[in-house]
Amino acid sequence: MELSGLEGNIIGVISEDYKNEDYCGKVVKDIVLKKASDALKMVGLGENTLECNFDDLSHGNQNRVILASKLQDKCIILNNFSIGLTNKDIDFFKKLFKRISGYGRKIVLVDINSNLFFNLVDKVYVLSNEILYETSDMFDKSLSKYIDLPKIVEFTNKSENKGIKINHYKELDELLKAIYRIKS
Amino acid sequence: MEFSDNVNYVVLSNNADKKFMSKFGMYQVIDVLSFEKLKNTLEMFPSKRVVFNESLSVLSNKEKKEILELLNKQSIHYINVTSNVEDALFGDYVIVYDEDMKVLEGNRDVVLKNEKILKKLGFGVPFVVDLSIQLMYYDILDRVYFDVNNLLEALWN
Repeated sequence: MELSGLEGNIIGVISEDYKNEDYCGKVVKDIVLKKASDALKMVGLGENTLECNFDDLSHGNQNRVILASKLQDKCIILNNFSIGLTNKDIDFFKKLFKRISGYGRKIVLVDINSNLFFNLVDKVYVLSNEILYETSDMFDKSLSKYIDLPKIVEFTNKSENKGIKINHYKELDELLKAIYRIKS
Repeated sequence: MEFSDNVNYVVLSNNADKKFMSKFGMYQVIDVLSFEKLKNTLEMFPSKRVVFNESLSVLSNKEKKEILELLNKQSIHYINVTSNVEDALFGDYVIVYDEDMKVLEGNRDVVLKNEKILKKLGFGVPFVVDLSIQLMYYDILDRVYFDVNNLLEALWN
């Protein structure tokens, strides 16, 4: 299925059908071809990365290099981008994706980590040759058939199963205040 | 690096590059594989210690549990090198690195309570630990939980 045709500016995709291009054996300068120094800087890497072998980098930095190589694309497709990233990195890239999307670029994230989608994507698609499911709501319980939901969503859903209704909060601080109100 | 027998380790690393992974040179390292390939590899694994380099990061929780059960059945212990702090919940002993520098190590329950250091390093703490710690500040809980079902039980029952 053509991912660039999916509706939305920043899209989450759950699918096993997509693989990264094979960059094994390549040097970073042969992967990031356009405005390389600026592109690497944008994803949090130094210019010295240009001379590194792709295989020698951590998964997180490999994913940064792949993103840097695609920054000029109209539709940026990233596969399992969350691997090797810390929570802080993920927050950094969510902000970057929103900024890039503001420049009229489309971003498609094929990933298993729903935390990457949370507070970011317009829509989540479940694909296997065709669209099996789509939703704009990360609190959509049916989505749990296809992916482990973000922890805050899982907590909210499990509380509801115990008869405790909590609004769909997206931030821990808001959830804490809600729990405090219920408990007091 | 030396590792005790019968202990499952989680190594939290924010940059597990080739040089970093060479610390585990004496063991066989498994990289990112699909669930089926990983399962097949482990079913015929020749050693009693395996090192994962983000191998579990591409699996669902259900698949992770299946892999860990398979390892347990075969008495294989693991060192899981990952950037994903949620996966630290699966280990017995956690070692935390900032680039190449060891910052923290100890039993899982002790290390994961170091909220300030882990957040400063960018890993954060697992959601269930974070929520418990914050609820302790509110005097709603009196201890840190490492399992969300236990936390829910303590909170709502």
